[in-house]
Amino acid sequence: MAYQLYRNTTLGNSLQESLDELIQTQQITPQLALQVLLQFDKAINAALASRVRNRVNFRVSEAEPTRSGPGLRAALTRSPLCPQGSLNTYRFCDNVWTFVLNDVEFREVTELVKVDKVKIVACDGKSECEQNLAGPGRFWPC
Amino acid sequence: MASSANSNQVPKLYRGVIEDVINEVRELFLDEGVDEQVLLELKTLWESKLQQSKAVEGFHTEEQAALQAAQQQQQAHQAQQVPQQAQTQQVILPPPQQQAPQQQVIVQDPKILQHMSATGMSAAATAATLALPTGVTPYQQLITNQGQILQVVRAPNGTQYIIQQSQQPIVLQQQMQPGGVQAPVIQQVLAPLQGGLSQQTGVIIQPQQIVLASGNKVQGNTQVVQAAAMVQQPGQAAMAAAAGGVAQVQQAQAAAPQAPPQPQAQQQTQPQPQAQQQPPMMLQVDGAGDTSSEDDEDEEEYDEDEEEEKDKDGGEDGQVEEEPLNSEDDVSEDEDQELFDTENVVVCQYDKIHRSKTKWKFHLKDGIMNLNGRDFVFSKATGDAEW
Repeated sequence: MAYQLYRNTTLGNSLQESLDELIQTQQITPQLALQVLLQFDKAINAALASRVRNRVNFRVSEAEPTRSGPGLRAALTRSPLCPQGSLNTYRFCDNVWTFVLNDVEFREVTELVKVDKVKIVACDGKSECEQNLAGPGRFWPC
Repeated sequence: MASSANSNQVPKLYRGVIEDVINEVRELFLDEGVDEQVLLELKTLWESKLQQSKAVEGFHTEEQAALQAAQQQQQAHQAQQVPQQAQTQQVILPPPQQQAPQQQVIVQDPKILQHMSATGMSAAATAATLALPTGVTPYQQLITNQGQILQVVRAPNGTQYIIQQSQQPIVLQQQMQPGGVQAPVIQQVLAPLQGGLSQQTGVIIQPQQIVLASGNKVQGNTQVVQAAAMVQQPGQAAMAAAAGGVAQVQQAQAAAPQAPPQPQAQQQTQPQPQAQQQPPMMLQVDGAGDTSSEDDEDEEEYDEDEEEEKDKDGGEDGQVEEEPLNSEDDVSEDEDQELFDTENVVVCQYDKIHRSKTKWKFHLKDGIMNLNGRDFVFSKATGDAEW
């Protein structure tokens, strides 16, 4: 049983929307749609484990870019303890980590992507037997 | 593969996943007794949504590749060139072609090229394959006796358009369809107007009389093809009225006034001899804030309704204006963000999360990231942050 974690991605969401449309037009049953999603979970987990082979690094942006008024104020109020801190929040619930980072740059061999805010949702990489970690939540385990 | 850019990797990965899923699910579909066609529809929908999201660059499907190849052939035959601009997204039926094995829909978005298969499509598949902009949903699907599928779609602004899909190879030609007289099909055809008001006429469209006149009315960058019902069949008690259907879906409302499409539609109605016209069947298309008044019994009532609706609109507008006022209180970081509103999300698994005092270290794996609207994947990711 694979994580349902990846359903809230571009790929997963587009699949869910497509399935919803087919359900609405009654071309498939909700049960069948669920089966498809389970199959998607397996496929995406397998694909990520086997077909993807690249590394990414992320870190705080080097220097706080000098910004105009509101930005600076925001930077100071964001973390009173660490003016340069980039980890905004962290949460560990049901073995799922959720982080919100600010001012991060993601580095790969070929490109660099900077974002002001990013949310990271991470399930336990060691335990593959987790499924449907949250009952009501369709997307998020926690 | 390690040296290839991530952006090259992602489309291949996604395509691989789609193929895997579709193939695995085929059995499930058959077990449930669901037609293979539905499976293909699912795939088409899925791929089209991915393309629409623009999260993946250069995401081509096999169909799209075939479409592009066919498009290049047909564009050479086309007498009228369809001007293309990236700003407006349109569904345009190509001008008359004599060798069109398939009905093709050209969408004026360079990234999106869809094509419809000749077989019957559902409303959902239609929406996807027509690459309708978000918010436009197939409202009705009308099937004429010829087997042509008229898709009535509803745009978020309330206008309705009719999009014709044909299962016959030759459709977009100004000719009468041969064949015997068939029972008239009562249908509702709606002529879209630029201003957002929908004009509705109930018509009976003779199946043979659905002819597309390639009206070359260019509204900015659009080519309007109108479906008009031609002369009615003799011996029919029912009447045929013109169907001013315009197969056109626009994201950006053209600046052209409302007048052009309307007189053009009417021009096509007038020359056609009409014995009678069925009483229009009103199709309720309005939602909240619709300014079209329905009752004209009393002038006072009319004025009141109008005023009420105006107040409603004014209220809504006022509400919209109030929100920015309140948001000034917030420390807004939105200005610093990139173009996209998408929250950058990374969905992955963690190998190890480590913390020392306020120093955090992340060891992640098997992740999909959506950053600034684009998708990335990684097998391993490490990071540092300070809280």
